[in-house]
Amino acid sequence: MSRPASTLQRLERILTMVPWLLDHPGASVEEVTARFGLSRDELSSDLDILGYCGLPGYGGGDLVEAWIVGDRVTVRMADFFSRPLRLSLREALTLLLAARALSGVAAFPESPALATAERKLTDLLGASVAEAPVRRERDDEPVSPRIAVDLRAQGDEHLPALREAVVEGRVVRITYRSASKAEVTRREVEPWGLSGSLGSWYLQGYCRLVQGPRDFRLDRIRDLEVTDEVTDAGERPALPPPAYQPAEHHEQVVLDLDVRAWWVAEWAVVEDATDRGDVRRVTLRTGEREWIARLVLGLGDAVRVVEPPELTEAVAALARRTLARYRAGDGP
Amino acid sequence: MTERLERLLNLVIALRETRRPMTAEEVRRRVAGYGQPDHEAFRRMFERDKADLRALGVPLETRRVDRWSDLQGYRIDPRHYDLPEVRLDRDELAALALALQATGLVDEAGVGLLKLEVDAGEAAPHSPRPVVGVAFEAPPHREVLLAAQLTRAPVRFRYRPPGREPSARTVDPHALVHRRGRWYLVGHDHDRGESRAFRLDRIAGKVTMAGEPGAFPPPPAVDVDDVVPAPAPGGPETAEVVAAPEVAWLVARRARGGGRPDAGGWTAYTVAVGDRGDFLRWVLELGPDLEVRGPAELRAEVVERLQRAAGGGR
Repeated sequence: MSRPASTLQRLERILTMVPWLLDHPGASVEEVTARFGLSRDELSSDLDILGYCGLPGYGGGDLVEAWIVGDRVTVRMADFFSRPLRLSLREALTLLLAARALSGVAAFPESPALATAERKLTDLLGASVAEAPVRRERDDEPVSPRIAVDLRAQGDEHLPALREAVVEGRVVRITYRSASKAEVTRREVEPWGLSGSLGSWYLQGYCRLVQGPRDFRLDRIRDLEVTDEVTDAGERPALPPPAYQPAEHHEQVVLDLDVRAWWVAEWAVVEDATDRGDVRRVTLRTGEREWIARLVLGLGDAVRVVEPPELTEAVAALARRTLARYRAGDGP
Repeated sequence: MTERLERLLNLVIALRETRRPMTAEEVRRRVAGYGQPDHEAFRRMFERDKADLRALGVPLETRRVDRWSDLQGYRIDPRHYDLPEVRLDRDELAALALALQATGLVDEAGVGLLKLEVDAGEAAPHSPRPVVGVAFEAPPHREVLLAAQLTRAPVRFRYRPPGREPSARTVDPHALVHRRGRWYLVGHDHDRGESRAFRLDRIAGKVTMAGEPGAFPPPPAVDVDDVVPAPAPGGPETAEVVAAPEVAWLVARRARGGGRPDAGGWTAYTVAVGDRGDFLRWVLELGPDLEVRGPAELRAEVVERLQRAAGGGR
C-alpha cells in the first residue's frame, strides 16, 4: 500500500484477514502480504495489536495469540473472528451494480459467471439492510432489488471483435465518419481500450492517419476489419474519458442555450457556463466550424449564437444548402 | 492511533461475545481502552466509535438490557455480524474483479471483494490492464433508496427540474435505472398520483425515509422503457427519408428494414421517429446529406426550421 492506511481501513483489513489466517495456519508472510496488499511491517504491526485484544478480563486464556515465527504467520484464540464481517449495504450494492452493468454488455464473455455471481450477491443484500427488516410477502420470497443498468448503445455490435483486438494488440482498420468534419475516412488504429460514456461506446487508440491518440464512437464506424498485424503493446497512456479536447488556437464560440439545450453544456467541453434565468450562456472552443454549425442548426430555436458572427452565417449557409435539396424535391 | 484500533477491536469482541446487552457504563468499566475517568470524554469517545463501526457495516444494535429494565445496552448479534456463506467460484470472482475494474468501482468495493475471496478460499486472478472501461458512477443516495425500496417505505426529497424551482416530492421507490449515463429513480409520485422517473443528479440535498416500512404494496413490474425512453427509438411513428451515399450506412442504423436505391446514388429508408424533437435534431445535423420525404407535415416542419435558420445570415 502506498499510503499508510487509516485506523478504520486497518480495522477493516484485520477483520477480513483474521478469518483467512485462522483457516490457513502457518501461511507464509509472502502469501499473506500479497493477498491482503500490505507490507511485512504493516502485517507485523497488525498482529502486535491483535495480541493485546481479546475478551474482557484480558487474562491468560482471553487474549488472541498472533505472531510471526520465521516466515510463518499464526493466529489463534480468535474464534469470534472466524467469519469476515458481512458486506455493508454499500459494498453489496456496489458489487451488484458492477456485475449488473457488465453482464449486459456484449463484449463480456464472462457474462454467465457474472449472472450467477449476481444471484448470490442479491441473496446477500437482504442481510445487509441494517435494522429495518426487508419486507417480503412470503418468507421464501427472494429479496430482489429492482436495479436496471442499461449500457446498450448503437454500434455496440462491434464490441466483441474490438475487445479481442485490444487484448491481442491487433491493428484494426475502420471506415469512420467523424463528428467534427462530416467526412468519411479510412483509418488504421492501434487499439488501446474500449470505453462507455453517456450512452455511447468509444474505441480508444493510436490513429495512424492523424498520428495521435483518438476516440472513435462505435456507432460512427461503418466497416471494421481486425487485421493480423500485432503492435507492440508497450506502455500506453491512460486515456481520459472520451471528450472533445479543445485547443488554445481554436475559435471561441459563445452560445445561449435555453432549457431544452442545457444538455449541451454537460456534453461538450465548455470553458465557461453562466445561468441567467432559464438561459445558460456557454463558451467553448472548436477547430471545426462545420461541426458547431450542424449542432446549432439541429438545436433550432433552443439556441442563439452570441458570437462569432461568422458562425451565424455558417449556420444560415448550411440551412440554405439543405433547403436547395428540398426545393429540388418539391419541383414539378 | 494504535490505541484506537486496539480499543475498537476490543469493543467488537466484547459486544459480540456478551450474553446480554452491555450498558455504556459496563463498556467503560470492562472493555480495554475505555477506562476514562472523565465521563464526558468517555461518552464522546464511545459515540464516535459506535458511529464509525456502524459505518463499516458492523451491526451494532441498541437493546433493552433485559425484559424488566428500561436500561439500554449494546450488542453485536453474531448472526448479523458474520458474512453468510456465499461461495463464489473462481470464475465468478474473476468476473466480479473485472467488473469492478471496468466500472472504476474498485475503491468502493475492493474490501467487499476481498471478503468474498476469503469466504471462497480463493483469490480472484489478477487481471491485466483493463480493456473495457465504463464511465459509470455509482448512483447517489443509493443506500437510502435501496433500503427504502426493499423495505417498501416512501422517501422524500427536494427535486429540481431544469430551469424550475426545486419542490418537495414524496415517492414510493420502485426501481433504480441507469440509462444513457444517468441514474433515475422510478416510482409512484404521491403528489402527481402517477409513476414518474426522477434523475438522481437533480435531487437537491438529502433523501429521507418518509414513512413506515411496508407502507406500499410490492410494486407491479416496472416497464422501465415506458418511464425512461430507450436509446433505440421504438415508437410506432416512422418517416420516409433519402440519404446521401456518405451517410447512408449511418441512417441505416435507425432504419426499419433495408434501404432502397434512389436517384443519384442516394438510398431511401423508412426510419423510426421516436422522440420528435430528437428526430428533427438528428435530421438537421445531417444537413444536405439527408432529406425527409414524408409524412408531409414532418417534411414541412423541417423546411420551416431550415427557412428560419437560413434567414439568420446576412
